[in-house]
Amino acid sequence: MAQIEVQNLHKSFKTGKVLNGVSLDAETGQIVVIFGPSGTGKTVLLRLIAGVEEPDAGTIMLQGRDMTEAAPEARGVGMAFQNFALFPHMSAYDNIASALTAGPMTAMQIKAKVDKVAALLKITHVMQHAPRELSNGQKQRTALARALVSDPRILLLDDPLRNVDAKLRYEMRLELPSLLKASGSTVLYVTQDYKEAMALGDKIAVLLDGAFVQIATPAEVYRKPASLGVAQLFGDPALNMVPAAPVLRNGAPVFELGGATLAMPVSYAGAAGRDCVIGIRPEALVVEEQPGPGSFPVEVVAVTPLNEKSVLLLRTMDGRELLASEPGDEVASRRHGPACARFDADSILVFDAASGLRIASQLN
Amino acid sequence: MEHTSTLERLIRGVLIALVLLFFLFPIFWIFLMSFQTNEDILRIPPSVLFTPTISNYQALITGKLVTVAGTLDIAFMKNLWNSVLLSTVSVGLALILGVPAAYAFARFKFPLSEDIAFTLLSFRFAPPLLVLLPLSLYYEQIGLTDTYVGLIWVYQLIALPLILWIVRGYFEDISPDIESAYRIAGHSWWRTFTRIAVPLAGPGIAASGLLAFIFCWNNFVFALILASADKQPVTVGSLAFVTASGIQYGQIAAAIVLSITPTLAIALWAQRYLVEGLSLGAVKG
Amino acid sequence: MTAIAAEPVLRRRKTRLLPYILSLPALIVCVGILIPFVTAVYYSMLRFRLNMPAMKGFIWFDNYMSFLSDAEFWNTVRVSLLYTGLTVGFELVFGLIIAMLLQKRTRFNNMASILLLLPLMTAPALAALMWKLMTNPNFGVLSYLVQLLGVTDFKWASAPGSALFTVVLVDIWVYTPFIMILLLAGLRSLPRQPFEAAALDGVPRRFVFFRITLPMLMPYMMTATLFRLLDAIQQFDIIYSMTQGGPGNTLLVFQVRSYLEFYQYTNVAKSATLLVILWAITYALSNVFIKQHLKLRERARGLA
Repeated sequence: MAQIEVQNLHKSFKTGKVLNGVSLDAETGQIVVIFGPSGTGKTVLLRLIAGVEEPDAGTIMLQGRDMTEAAPEARGVGMAFQNFALFPHMSAYDNIASALTAGPMTAMQIKAKVDKVAALLKITHVMQHAPRELSNGQKQRTALARALVSDPRILLLDDPLRNVDAKLRYEMRLELPSLLKASGSTVLYVTQDYKEAMALGDKIAVLLDGAFVQIATPAEVYRKPASLGVAQLFGDPALNMVPAAPVLRNGAPVFELGGATLAMPVSYAGAAGRDCVIGIRPEALVVEEQPGPGSFPVEVVAVTPLNEKSVLLLRTMDGRELLASEPGDEVASRRHGPACARFDADSILVFDAASGLRIASQLN
Repeated sequence: MEHTSTLERLIRGVLIALVLLFFLFPIFWIFLMSFQTNEDILRIPPSVLFTPTISNYQALITGKLVTVAGTLDIAFMKNLWNSVLLSTVSVGLALILGVPAAYAFARFKFPLSEDIAFTLLSFRFAPPLLVLLPLSLYYEQIGLTDTYVGLIWVYQLIALPLILWIVRGYFEDISPDIESAYRIAGHSWWRTFTRIAVPLAGPGIAASGLLAFIFCWNNFVFALILASADKQPVTVGSLAFVTASGIQYGQIAAAIVLSITPTLAIALWAQRYLVEGLSLGAVKG
Repeated sequence: MTAIAAEPVLRRRKTRLLPYILSLPALIVCVGILIPFVTAVYYSMLRFRLNMPAMKGFIWFDNYMSFLSDAEFWNTVRVSLLYTGLTVGFELVFGLIIAMLLQKRTRFNNMASILLLLPLMTAPALAALMWKLMTNPNFGVLSYLVQLLGVTDFKWASAPGSALFTVVLVDIWVYTPFIMILLLAGLRSLPRQPFEAAALDGVPRRFVFFRITLPMLMPYMMTATLFRLLDAIQQFDIIYSMTQGGPGNTLLVFQVRSYLEFYQYTNVAKSATLLVILWAITYALSNVFIKQHLKLRERARGLA
């Protein structure tokens, strides 16, 4: 029995329809990341599950019970908000304890639990402070503590690392998975950062245009994105998209790029004759001085060194712009001007131009 | 930084002094008068130096004025009591009714809410007699004339729109996520309202309550029309007092002092709340 | 899989009803205002005197028409407009001057602005009484002072020539602090940059005041003015306490006249008609105000 079962949720606001038939399952102890660009309804989904908003249609089952109509206080979930939502007129201690004061625990029992969670999140020293005296990182941890302290079976985390500075975000990204796994709760984690999604999630559910377009493991979402939209979200810089119409030559599919005819893996023969978009990851593009097998001429227009990698802006002979990404900054000596680019044919992704859906090769 | 010349600062100082003189003199003078005997009052030229007497206050508080012509009964204390009763109960009731209503208007967008808010708002500016004169006829029919209940009901017309207007703004300023967080933490709607929303809107509730009290206390025309002598508050009572025969001017002054002391005391003690309520109520709402 | 319902139906119904239950008192007050209002409008279209109940009859807009040719009515309009114009005009100017004098946040200025609250907290009816005592011909300190200045026989509120002056003075005494508070809040909330820039550029003070300060203060001044306009045109307390509308008909503003028509002449219809006309004026004015206020609030919320 899944801990969370969301079926066919619909929700509209005056501004339009936000969720259009959304379904999702989460098993006990799983961390499911809900990922998508901003404004797509991820927060709305969490609020529906928490009970703070009512769906227009659909059901929400939590721990096997139908909670679609239940009040928030009856659902037994813990939630951490993007903007922390701490109570300004209470100390950090009272903020955390508020998740327990509605229940039957004595003050001493509450204190024990709050202290334990505070120690876990390393905020014991600020327990008596008011929220306005805390740094963003401390506020975020207080909000997390409040969500965790009642040992909820279900945890809803709404982009908790969004408003935290970069260094702390990186640290938390390392700490969170073990923290969440140790709690044993089923976690729904909302984020817009694909790296966070891939680092944290057992499963990633990609929300685009009000529906889940793919629910799969991080590896699968990266290697086999269900659609062009999904592929573009994963990767920085984003995927290169090359419109093409592959044809069969000697039984093998090929396509035109930059004046050259490039080979595709044979398993994509089914793509021949259709209008496609070929996706080439910047990491897969290799830029060299001399031409090699499968390379095509480009001009290096700009180079952006970013320490652990460098991004090159390339222009093909027919005016198409591509981004290539290379590790390290050996590019210090990189010159602008003519060069050659090639890529590993096995690394490409092929999408149908009309629907945006990925065309699977015969192997996968 | 501004370079203000000494001359300019001098002029500023003089002007402020004149302004303060104009606005504070009447209060000061009436206060003085209340401690003067009739002879002192009628003496020309009027003087700031005299031997003060508390006989005026004594007469008001004991309710009896002993003159050469005999003993006169003064019912001013009743007026004072009426003011206290009417103002506190009206404001208390208006807060109990108005704060939850302000919350409803702030948090829920339900049909009719904007219409009700607009009507209450627009009648805050409407001539009171428009409502009072027909109401007095109705009151006679249902027997509410000259009753505390009838007056407290009418006073809601003063206090409720004010409280609704100010407190609604304060509730709207509270982020809804905070209330959601408290409910998710396991608390019912009512507990969220009392433990989170109301405390966070506290300054607004205090400001509107104090302002409403002052407006109720200072009200004149409602009680003039709907109350008779023994239910009248000090505003109406003082006027009757002035025209009554045999009353000495010192007592009138003392009556005025007693009548304005509560509101002036509130003004001095809680001025921060009042200024916030007045200016925000007018500008921000 | 069996689904166990967790208080489903109850919750839906409860949340639907909650806002209505909460705002019920406001609704009742609304109704409590509208019923007499409708009654008043109805009365204004009748021929109705309390001492001649038999004559009660529906005459549509005759009351309104007859006012157009009634000299007394135009007197009421004239006095009301004059009163409104004088009080609001002077209060705006004085309030602005005082606010500018007290602009800097010093302890003295803060104390002064607190003390200046006091007249505003005085009941207008009682303020009128205070000034009545001070202008009493026998012992009033103001009468005495005026005599010292060589003006003999100044009758303050007792003479038709000076009655308006006296009540306007009382109004100014009570309500100038209101404008002062608003404009002081406005002045103190103005951004510093334009003024610092002007100071750096050596812009003359008069220019700064008229071209920078005043325009930025406009919203506050508009709010204050509208508030005062609406109150002044319906003034009752001060005038009634001072002279009950006299001497003669010099101070018969709308509400005072209406009150007297009702109680002295028991002419309910005429009284109601006057009030409906007054209401129309205030409704038009307050609509302007409320619309602008709501727009300002939306803009502020949008930016927040």
